[in-house]
Amino acid sequence: MKRTISRISPFIGILIVFGTWFVVSRIEIFSPYVLPTPEKVLSSFSKMLQSGEIFVDIAISFGRVLKGFLIAFVLAFALGTFRILVPAAEKYYEYILQFFRNVPPLSMIPLLILWCGIGEVTKTVIIVLASFFPMYLNIVKGFTGCDKCLLEVGDAFGYTQFEKFTHIVLPYALADILVGMRIGMGYSWRAIIGAEMVAASTGLGHMILLAQQMSRTDKVIVGIFVIGIVGLVTDKLFGIVIKKLFKGTGENGWN
Amino acid sequence: MAGIELKNIQKKYSVENRVINVLNGINLQIPRESITVILGRSGCGKTTLLRIVGGLEDADAGEMECDVEHKTTFVFQESRLMPWLNVWDNVKFGLKKQECDKMVIQSIIDTVGLHGFEKAYPNQLSGGMQQRTAIARALAYNPSFIMMDEPFAALDYFTREQMQKELIRLQRDRGVSILFVTHSIDEALLLGHKIVVIEGGQIKAEFMLKADNKERNLLEPEFIELKKNIIERLDL
Ligand SMILES: Nc1ncnc2c1ncn2[C@@H]1O[C@H](COP(=O)(O)OP(=O)(O)OP(=O)(O)O)[C@@H](O)[C@H]1O
Ligand SMILES: [Mg+2]
Repeated sequence: MKRTISRISPFIGILIVFGTWFVVSRIEIFSPYVLPTPEKVLSSFSKMLQSGEIFVDIAISFGRVLKGFLIAFVLAFALGTFRILVPAAEKYYEYILQFFRNVPPLSMIPLLILWCGIGEVTKTVIIVLASFFPMYLNIVKGFTGCDKCLLEVGDAFGYTQFEKFTHIVLPYALADILVGMRIGMGYSWRAIIGAEMVAASTGLGHMILLAQQMSRTDKVIVGIFVIGIVGLVTDKLFGIVIKKLFKGTGENGWN
Repeated sequence: MAGIELKNIQKKYSVENRVINVLNGINLQIPRESITVILGRSGCGKTTLLRIVGGLEDADAGEMECDVEHKTTFVFQESRLMPWLNVWDNVKFGLKKQECDKMVIQSIIDTVGLHGFEKAYPNQLSGGMQQRTAIARALAYNPSFIMMDEPFAALDYFTREQMQKELIRLQRDRGVSILFVTHSIDEALLLGHKIVVIEGGQIKAEFMLKADNKERNLLEPEFIELKKNIIERLDL
C-alpha cells in the first residue's frame, strides 16, 4: 500500500496543477489569450508533433547544448587539473574567474553578437560561460577536498605525483565531478533558451519568441513544457549513466 | 645488526599556541631483519616517530641513517583503504600492473582470513576486516621494511594471535625488518626482538630479547620478570 502511494504521489501533484488550470480556464477568470485552456495547448502540441517542427527545434537546441557543454567540461577539467598540479598559479587568475562567475552569460550577448555575429559561435560561447563555472568549481572542490590520509597511502606505496593524481585524487573527486556535470547540464539548458530568444532563428528559445510575437500563448506554453521535459529527461539519463558507470561503487555508498 | 639509525630526533607541534614537545631527542637503532617494537602510552609520540622514520613527516632536528635502500611501506593506525576499491583491488593497490600475480594476492588475502570477501567494499567490512585488508595491502607490496602502527588493535583475541603468528612467520621467511608500534606489553613481548619503551618524548628503556619469537610462553619467569620491568619503566 505504502509502495503504490509513493509510486503515484508524483502524479498527484501534476494532476492537481492540471486540474486547477483546467478549472480556472473553464470559468474564464482570465482571457484565453492570457491563459489558454489545456485542450488548446494539447492540440497545438499534437499538431507540432505531427508536423515534426518541434523535433527539429529540440534537436537543434540539444545539439548546441551538447557542444557547449562538452567544450566547457574539457576546459573545466583541464583548468581544474592545472589548478591542482600548480597551486601557486591560482593567485593569478582567481579574481578573473570570480569576476566572470558573477556575470550572467546573457548579459554578454550584445558583446558576443558584436564580436562573433549571430551564428553558432555566440550560442556556444554562452553555453560554455554558463556551464563552465559549476563544473570548474565542483572539480576543484573534489580535487582539493581529497583526504590527506589517503594521499599519504600513495606516499607509503611509492606513488609518484602523477600516480597519486590518477589513482587517488581523481577517483576521490569523481562524485563531485559528476555533480558538477549534472548542474552544468542544467545551466546549459537555461542559457541556450535565453540565447536563442535573443540571437537565433532556430531552436526552442526562438520558437517560443516567435509564438509570442504571433500571440500564440498556447505555443509558448508548449515550448515551456518541452523545455522542462527535455531537461528532466536529460537529467534522468545523466543519473542512469552515472549509476551504470559506477555500478559497483555507487551501490556501496560511494556516491 | 646494522639497519636504521636515529640520532637525536626532535619534533614539536604547536596546538592552540601551546607547544608540545612530542619527541625530545630520540636515539634509536632499528636492527635489520628483525622486529623492533615501540611501546608507550597513548599520546606519547609513537605514531609521530613512525611517521618520521617512514618519511611522511620531517623531524625538526636530528638525523636518520640507513645502511641500505629499503622498500618501505606503512600499515597506518587507521585502515585507510580506498573506499571506491574492493578488497582485491585495495590489496593490490601498491603493485604495478606487471607485478600483479593473482595467486600471490589470493594467498595473501587468505592469510589474513578474508577469503570470500575479495569483492566486498570497505564499508561492507568490519573494522577488524578493514585493518586486515590494510595489512594485506602492505604485505602484497613485498616490502623489505614495514612500519606498523598498532595494526592488530581492532582484532579480537584469537584473530590477533593468529595474525601475530603470521607476522612472525612472514618476517622469518622474507627477512623483512619491522618497526611495530603497540601499547600492549604482551604483544611486545610476543613479537619483539627488540623492545623500546618511550616516555616523555624520550627512550626510557631498551630490551633485547634473545628467545626465539616462534614459541614464546609469556608465563615463563623470564617474561614475567621482563613484563614487571617494563611496567615499572612505563610508570615513571
Ligand atoms: N599533526 C599534529 N598536529 C599537532 N599535534 C599533533 C599532531 N600529531 C600528533 N600531535 C600531538 O603529538 C602527540 C603524540 O601523538 P601521536 O599520534 O604520536 O601519539 P601516539 O603515541 O601514537 O598515541 P596513540 O597510542 O594514542 O596512537 C599528541 O600529544 C598529539 O596531540
Ligand atoms: Mg598512534
